[in-house]
Amino acid sequence: MSGDTTRRDMLGQVVRGTVLAGMGGAALFLTKKADGQMVWQVNASKCINSRLDAADAEVCTLCTTECVIALSAVRAVNEYSKCGRCSICPAYFDVTSAVGDDGLPSQKLCPRDAIERKPIGKIDPEDPANNFYEYIIDEVKCDGCGRCVLKCKEPLGLGSIVLKVRYNKCVDCNRCAISIACPKDAISQVIKTEGLESSLASHTD
Amino acid sequence: MPKALRLPGVVLLLAILATAPHFAQSIYYERPVETAPQEETIGDGYKTPEVQKPLPRHFWLQWLDVLLLGAAMGAAVWIVLARRRRRWLVWLNIASLGYFGFYREGCICPIGSIQNVTVALADPTYSIPIVAVAVFFLPLFVALFFGRAFCGGVCPLGAMQELVLLRPVHVPRRLDQALGLLKYVYLGLAIVFALKPALSRDFLICRFDPFVGFFRFSGEASMLTVGAVFLIGGMFIGRPYCRYLCPYGGLLSWTTRLANRGVTITPDKELDCGLCTEACPYGAIDKMRAVRRKCLYCARCYESCPRDGELAHAKEELIEIGGPR
Repeated sequence: MSGDTTRRDMLGQVVRGTVLAGMGGAALFLTKKADGQMVWQVNASKCINSRLDAADAEVCTLCTTECVIALSAVRAVNEYSKCGRCSICPAYFDVTSAVGDDGLPSQKLCPRDAIERKPIGKIDPEDPANNFYEYIIDEVKCDGCGRCVLKCKEPLGLGSIVLKVRYNKCVDCNRCAISIACPKDAISQVIKTEGLESSLASHTD
Repeated sequence: MPKALRLPGVVLLLAILATAPHFAQSIYYERPVETAPQEETIGDGYKTPEVQKPLPRHFWLQWLDVLLLGAAMGAAVWIVLARRRRRWLVWLNIASLGYFGFYREGCICPIGSIQNVTVALADPTYSIPIVAVAVFFLPLFVALFFGRAFCGGVCPLGAMQELVLLRPVHVPRRLDQALGLLKYVYLGLAIVFALKPALSRDFLICRFDPFVGFFRFSGEASMLTVGAVFLIGGMFIGRPYCRYLCPYGGLLSWTTRLANRGVTITPDKELDCGLCTEACPYGAIDKMRAVRRKCLYCARCYESCPRDGELAHAKEELIEIGGPR
């Protein structure tokens, strides 16, 4: 009786050991193969909103509506060093709205009022239209609808605003819902490498 | 001044050229960014502000998730096998639901990692994060020794269903077994879809996750409805997703068959009263013995036992109070 139990125990141990070795082997194989984290990335030259040939196109808001998290993981970023600092910024103002007393369009473009406009540099109170202005997009308010991105283009804008992924919010879905919906395949997965900061930073055009 | 300006321009152009192969098929435009006014033009000591770049979670924070996963499983094993107390397990469930569910928004999870591991094994070009490998194998290793501690202590999907289970109904054994086969069908389908070529590849388990929408406070209305149905049904039928659909539960029940430790009903203590069988909402006690591959580590059997667990401890305390003065 007790001999039986021992034999069964031993058999169990052998089987367990075999499975353990098998799983360990697979784990080791995958560990060696594992080469970093994949991150989703917006390709600005494919995105309808930021491609320069489509200034009069309808805005594409799929990045806002398709993302699985409540506030989209995609948001607009103004690359300050490339910004024209225009007085009448076509991405900040709705340039088709009526001009107010101050000579500026009366309506803002952003439906969430996420862009802040402030004068910078040497301020000439006599000629405010010739001052430089900084346009700061509020990371928390922006939901990545792309309206400002679409408007910041030649001839009025320089194309300094692009859509980018908030990597602190992105949950790295196996298949990004935005990438499934995107008509231009502008969202793709890349391997996150050591130099993520620099590679993502330079990936603006 | 023009010389000073030209150099950054050249560097920028080189940087653009260097990244060009990334989008070989896209239309390339020269953005007139060189005409943007720079610090010198703007004057008055202006400094170009840093562009916000929210980075992914630190690598060590991702390892923290793995560490917490391991620690929570360890805690579940200790609470259930050594302490035999249900009350502490409920707190562990709430903590896991909070961290892995609501804080980490249901990602990264071992259930979904089945697909990543499948793809990584089949497709040599696919890159799998090391954390996904760890998250996939850790609960399986634990199950090989102690059973489904992951299901009982860590899984946020399980914890959610565990906490809504108010009036458990016993599912007839035959029906339970038949429905239990569904998870293997689901596992098979998930693997088949993950093995498709990259462009038509689909991740069914993630797409049809009924509870992840709750964790993120957003999601398709259809999946949220399915999740609500699971939760309402789960008030009466113990953990329906885990028992009948969860593909990872299928893998865990296979490895648990080999486990040498797990929830036990001690023969020399038992009374044959059957209270534990009544208490088990998952049909995991058969003929007064625990069926480990079905046991979801909830410790309800201990809670109900007059000779073990909380009832027995309470009796000891009563005896002590009523005992020597």
